[in-house]
Amino acid sequence: MSAIADQIILEARNVTRRYPGTLALDRVTLRIHRNQVNVLIGENGAGKSTLMRILAGVETADSGELLLEGAPIRVRTPGEAAALGISIVHQELSILPNLDISENIFAGREPVKAGMLLDRKSEDARAAAALADLRKPMQVRTKTAHLSLGCRQLVEIARALDQGAKILILDEPTSALSSVETDSLFRVIQDLKRSGVTIIYISHRLHELLHLGDRFTVLRSGRVVGEAPRSEVSRQWIVERMSGRAASETSKERVLQPDAPAVITVQGLTLGASGIDESAQTPLYDVSFTLRRGEILGIYGLLGAGRTELAESLAGARSLVAGRIALNGAAVHISTVSDAVRQGIVLVPEDRQRDGLIPELSIRENISIGSMGGPLLSDAKQSADVHRLAKELNIVARDLEAPVTSLSGGNQQKVLIARCLMTHPKLLLLDEPTRGVDVGAKAEIYTILRRLASQGIGVLFTSSEIEETRTLADRALVMCQGRIAAEFSGSEITDEALFTAASPVVDTVLSPDSGVHIA
Amino acid sequence: MSATVHVQPTSERLARVSIRTLLFVLRARAVIVLFALLVLFSVLAPSFLTTNNFAILSKHVALSAILAIGMTFVILTGGIDLSVGSLAGLGGMVAGYLLTQGIPVAGVIHYPNVGATILITFAACLLVGLLNGWLVAKAGVAPFIATLGTLYIARGAALLMSNGKTFPNLAGDAARGNTGFTFVGQSTFIGIPLPVWIMLAIFGLAWFISVKTPLGRHIYAVGGNERAARLAGIRVARVKIFTYLASSVCAATVGLIIASQLEASHPATGESFELNAIAAVVLGGTSLMGGRGSIPGSLIGAFVIGVLSDGLVMLGVSEFWQMVIKGTVIVLAVAVDQLQARVQAKFLPYLQVVDAEGHA
Repeated sequence: MSAIADQIILEARNVTRRYPGTLALDRVTLRIHRNQVNVLIGENGAGKSTLMRILAGVETADSGELLLEGAPIRVRTPGEAAALGISIVHQELSILPNLDISENIFAGREPVKAGMLLDRKSEDARAAAALADLRKPMQVRTKTAHLSLGCRQLVEIARALDQGAKILILDEPTSALSSVETDSLFRVIQDLKRSGVTIIYISHRLHELLHLGDRFTVLRSGRVVGEAPRSEVSRQWIVERMSGRAASETSKERVLQPDAPAVITVQGLTLGASGIDESAQTPLYDVSFTLRRGEILGIYGLLGAGRTELAESLAGARSLVAGRIALNGAAVHISTVSDAVRQGIVLVPEDRQRDGLIPELSIRENISIGSMGGPLLSDAKQSADVHRLAKELNIVARDLEAPVTSLSGGNQQKVLIARCLMTHPKLLLLDEPTRGVDVGAKAEIYTILRRLASQGIGVLFTSSEIEETRTLADRALVMCQGRIAAEFSGSEITDEALFTAASPVVDTVLSPDSGVHIA
Repeated sequence: MSATVHVQPTSERLARVSIRTLLFVLRARAVIVLFALLVLFSVLAPSFLTTNNFAILSKHVALSAILAIGMTFVILTGGIDLSVGSLAGLGGMVAGYLLTQGIPVAGVIHYPNVGATILITFAACLLVGLLNGWLVAKAGVAPFIATLGTLYIARGAALLMSNGKTFPNLAGDAARGNTGFTFVGQSTFIGIPLPVWIMLAIFGLAWFISVKTPLGRHIYAVGGNERAARLAGIRVARVKIFTYLASSVCAATVGLIIASQLEASHPATGESFELNAIAAVVLGGTSLMGGRGSIPGSLIGAFVIGVLSDGLVMLGVSEFWQMVIKGTVIVLAVAVDQLQARVQAKFLPYLQVVDAEGHA
């Protein structure tokens, strides 16, 4: 009994966290084992990041308790968590780009001398020591804006270590790293483990997890659906729990004609990596595919695989290095979003709030904003079209003049689809078509997309959800590190096939005895 | 790039040196422009380069420099303080009111001495600064709007205090025990006007805070990435409130100096001073987005504007042309700032990575 209790350094017990409209965590109990790599797995929106933010004091739980070494603790701020030895390296790195490395390591907890003066000397010495511990000595006076993502991440880890972190949370640490950087991160993690630090590691990447993890916990839709030590975990075990087989399969009896004319043909699409600033993008290498009339094409990939970059490139929002695009057999040149819209390519973006809706405008205005023809607004004509589409897409609203923010997530998504349809597109692109949408609306959106496809509009969607790809796609392309890694159609689209193809192989890490055999 | 390193190491080094030179010139542009202006005016106007003229010039510059230094803190956090001109006016009026009208207590009018007058003036302006800080940091009002509001409030309050009239004769009255106010703006120390000393003292203190204390570091951090600053445990609201308080202290100081110099306070004093201060800060290389800039830069910026306007006056350039020229200089400065940012973004990572790895 006590031996087991000894192993548990941190426990979250019956933690519940509710956001407006969703239950992010539903009585989750998570046990973190001392001095091990504790892996947390789950799809986007499963609640992993929320749970970690609660452990790190960035958010607080609605109910439930946290126990450190068996004793209840309260963490209301990141500072309180750090004082207890819990530190987090966030998914979107939280670096201060205008400050240098040691300034970043000591931000908010600067050592002082004479009661008020910054002690640069000891800062620099401690920063250099922390980085040396991480086997990455760097000039500590370098501005972090000029560092690669991997180096920035090490700066954050160094910060956590200097704070005396006993428990280090890494939230999707490799999603933006190159494979060399990933390698060195893994060495750092092994070093930390040896020196007695407990790691909580979040990732989607199966190869990594199976290589690194000692303890596995799977989250799905805010609940823990599996917990096991490494010896009991296999690739299949993870995939089954993550995707949730129980989900009802919507019928896929769609008749496809393999020789139907191509709606869009893409050849050799290549996108450069942009700088090293916050807007860093995954480069795309030589992406080619064809979408035929009546077909729904899914692009599956993990975070950072290049899905969004591909969708946005086709929509004219990114400038390509190379690539040929043909719409209905005719070559088109797309360099801006308005080019794309004029040619008949429209995008429903991934982040509704940031890139889609205009919250100050009404539902009607949000639908019609992309298709204002002449110099004057013509309310009558617009209203007719808007009402027809609202009806077709079953947008449930009391009044189309109501603010768009009064709608549920699913209906907001339908508003964006309606906006795209107003331009009479040939190709409809959807980046994560059902993110933040409830189950009912999900099914409805799938039905709408199938109908549009059978009406002859090309439908291409990207998704990081296995289930969505399996359910919706007639044919699925799997992206991995900016390349098309695999293609499956019809019944070939299975959970395992998708997941395996999407995980980058970190071959330099996998020594012969460490886990290749699970593949 | 790496290919050229192997093929033509010399030209590569040459390219790197010229990039560095270009970046240095772009960064030091305010100093370069200042020197250019000094040389230009010295040649064109023989009386420009005299001690007497410099005393006048530095007295002019002191006012906009003090405001610019306070403003720099605010802008470094990504905010802006439009209320400083009005606050200077209000500060002068508060001092003028206390010295000429006194405070009635139970039917008897008390006249606070000069020391108390100055303290009450600072307190009044700090109150407005606190309001600015609270509105921005706690109530979440956009800094532009919050301080635009207090710009009007402070100006209105200044006008209300005298019903729009001037308080004359601030020299004080021995019988009332409140003489000596003229000391602030009119005395000299080692031949240099006291306002210039005040400017230097404020400059020294502000520079010290900005580079030597955790508070200064936090100001840069908040401007660089507010979210990350909060996650690092920095108390963002406190930092922001401090910057607005600092700015209001600077404004009060300017108001007191002007009232003391003129021995009178007029409610319209300080109109559009905020724009001059912002111009000086921007000329000094501080980014309006926050996180980048320096206190010395703002001092130099204030000197550029001061030298430019005084020099143009001496050359007899019409006031209207002066405005056009000043505006052009400001716009050019910001355009060059953008150019620097772009050049830096393009080349510096490459230069620095080489540096960092070289020392690894």
